[in-house]
Amino acid sequence: MAKPVVRKPKKKANPLKSAKIDNIDYKDTALLRKFISDRGKIRARRVTGVTVQEQRQIAKAVKNAREMALLPYTSTAR
Amino acid sequence: MRQYELMVILDPEVEERTVQPSLEKLLTVVKTDGGSVDKMDIWGRRRLAFDISKKSEGIYAVVDFTSTPDTAKELDRQLGLNEAVLRTKILRTDAR
Repeated sequence: MAKPVVRKPKKKANPLKSAKIDNIDYKDTALLRKFISDRGKIRARRVTGVTVQEQRQIAKAVKNAREMALLPYTSTAR
Repeated sequence: MRQYELMVILDPEVEERTVQPSLEKLLTVVKTDGGSVDKMDIWGRRRLAFDISKKSEGIYAVVDFTSTPDTAKELDRQLGLNEAVLRTKILRTDAR
C-alpha cells in the first residue's frame, strides 16, 4: 500500500510580529491595505498568516475604516 | 468619565480656515458638560474611497476627548444634525 503523503503546512511568518505592531488601528490604512485584496475583500487568515485574535482585530479595523470611507467596500479594479 | 476618539468627515465645501473654529463650536457640548478635549488633529482634505452624498472628497478630523457616555451620545446626535458633517464615528479608546 502506498504511503499517504504527509504534507507539512508551511508556517508563514507573522507579518505583524515582524513589523512590531501590537495595536491595530482603523486609521492606519497603509497597514490595513496589506490585509485586503485588490478587490477590497479581507484576506483569509491562511493567506495573511496572523493569529486568530489579530485576524479578528484586523477585520474589525477594516470594517471601521470602510465606514469612514478610508477603505473601499468593493473596488472594480479588474 | 471615559476616553473617546471621534472622527468626523466634513463637507469639502467648508473652507479650510474655518474648520478649526467650526469644530470647536461643535465640541462645546463636551466642555459645558464637564468633559475635556484632549487632542485635535485635522487631517485636511482627503479623497473618499467611495462617494458619500455625492461628494468624492471630505475634510477629515480626529478628536480625542474625555467625557461621560451621555455627553458622547449627545455629541454624536448633534453632529448628525449638522449639515456640514458627512459622517462621524465615536469609539472608546480604552475598549479592547
